[in-house]
Amino acid sequence: MQINLKEIVPSYFERNSVTNSEIWGKTISFDEGSHIHIVAPSGSGKTSLIHFIYGLRKDYSGTLSYDDKNIANFSLDLFSSFRQTSISIVFQDMRLFADQNVRQNIEIKRQLAPYHPPEKIEEMANRLGIGNKLARITNSCSYGEKQRIAIIRSLMQPFKFLLLDEPFSNLDDNNRAKAMELIAEECAARKASMIFVDLKELDFFAGQRILRL
Amino acid sequence: MNYKNIQSLLSTSQNKLSRWISYFGLGIGVLLLLCSMQMFVNIKHLLKENNPRKNGFDFISITKVITNENMGKDNSFKEDEIIDLKAQPTIEDVAPLIANQYRVKGSAGNIIPFSTDLFLESINNDFIDSVPPAFRWHEGQTDIPIIFSSDFLELYNVFAPSQDLPQLSDKTISSINIVIECYGPQGLQKFRGNVVGLTERINSILVPKSFMDWSNKYFSGVTSVNPSRVFIKTRDANNPDLLTYVQQKNYHLNKDKTKFGRIKKLLQSIISGLGLFGVLVILLALMLFSFYLQLMIAKSKDNLQLLLTLGYSPNWLSKTMASTWIPVYIGVVLVSILLVFVLQFAFVHFLFAEQGDLSYSLHWTVLLVALLLLFLSIYSNYRMVKKELYKIG
Repeated sequence: MQINLKEIVPSYFERNSVTNSEIWGKTISFDEGSHIHIVAPSGSGKTSLIHFIYGLRKDYSGTLSYDDKNIANFSLDLFSSFRQTSISIVFQDMRLFADQNVRQNIEIKRQLAPYHPPEKIEEMANRLGIGNKLARITNSCSYGEKQRIAIIRSLMQPFKFLLLDEPFSNLDDNNRAKAMELIAEECAARKASMIFVDLKELDFFAGQRILRL
Repeated sequence: MNYKNIQSLLSTSQNKLSRWISYFGLGIGVLLLLCSMQMFVNIKHLLKENNPRKNGFDFISITKVITNENMGKDNSFKEDEIIDLKAQPTIEDVAPLIANQYRVKGSAGNIIPFSTDLFLESINNDFIDSVPPAFRWHEGQTDIPIIFSSDFLELYNVFAPSQDLPQLSDKTISSINIVIECYGPQGLQKFRGNVVGLTERINSILVPKSFMDWSNKYFSGVTSVNPSRVFIKTRDANNPDLLTYVQQKNYHLNKDKTKFGRIKKLLQSIISGLGLFGVLVILLALMLFSFYLQLMIAKSKDNLQLLLTLGYSPNWLSKTMASTWIPVYIGVVLVSILLVFVLQFAFVHFLFAEQGDLSYSLHWTVLLVALLLLFLSIYSNYRMVKKELYKIG
């Protein structure tokens, strides 16, 4: 699978204000298996880009396609099938079911297209240090814990691309390293790509493709 | 994937009252509709046997209305008027009643001392309710087969005792030889009349058409006669188009013959009204339930939106959500069918048990409609949920 961006510019941006960007207004492709790190300061449209690729927003000009299929023409049902098997995501704002417990939040994604057995939830939670929080109502978890729940949830399904929108913003260095290790393992197991957007460059991506938005 | 996992994300426990009211309303609506359908079938069945119809047709006599203005004028039907009658889409066929154009006198010989002036008429055999094989005549035959009106026999039996005449049954009338005397310029000719059958439909003394044609020509020299009354064959004597046409032309229609049709029509109209009311109640109940669903979706909007974002398809969600209420709808329709069955049982058992011509079981169309309603309810819920999900997706 390939994700192609052809002269994408958010409709709320002036076209001449994005001339320095390596993504906005350019033609660019993300191939399966390659990791892309997108770095940009606040307000440059990182979350918008992730939402455009995931199909949540359409307020842009240009063409965005999965392989040669323009996603502007996708139905909600077609997006669903891609979201079940080909594209997974960690939102910046996590987007968890606040009244459900941690396990339920992860399980609801796992059941949609089971890639791992249920025991894997416990294993991953232990690795990220939230193993004892599985029965807890999500609303009562801290931001850092919520971020780890969202990461584990995103890894429960098969995918070819993993979209990560500032997924470590509330994690300390230690937890950040653990999370990055887990994500990298899961991507490798699937031979999948990750598109990682953040405010600053991460050590993990040293020597790899880094784009400035 | 199953519904249990997502059920806790939907506010299904909200607005329980409106949900239960909609179930109850749906039950009442389905009951009314199915009940009226079954009654419609019952009435059709009950009145079928009393209706003087032949192969699903009504046969009615039409004459011109005699008024003070047209009294004494020629009030017979002209050829173009008969053609016009035939051209009406509501009229399947037309047959004139041809009357004798000479004097006829009838007597019962020596057995019954009774003599009277008579009139004879003939009509196409197709229009006679039952034509006995003996009802045929050829030139030279002195016996004339007669089909006698049951009403006339009844009239005779009413006045016979006061005239010291014997009353006659359906069977004995056929054994009486009636002497028919026809008068023409050549003088008197006698024939022997035999009643070979009785008719409920035509108030007349019918002879074979071959005799009427021959005798009119022989005794009065007339070859073509304009009839004073015609019989029409129609699928529905109560058709408003037919009645309007008859009224416009100032024709008189024998309304008594359509008595059962009119009663049936009236009863079926009342029951249709009841059925229509049932449909209205069903629609209202479905609407109420759709409001409940809309409210539930609105209250669970954030969760549903997140489910869609995570990859749950709106198609699967709507199917799963709509199928949750299938057992409830099946229950409502089954209870309604059961109640209609009990009502039908009571109707047949207490009112028509002796006649034995009504079935205790429900008509298949009633069951089919119940099935269709079930499908309609589930499908309308599915469509509604899907539409709402697409709105928030």
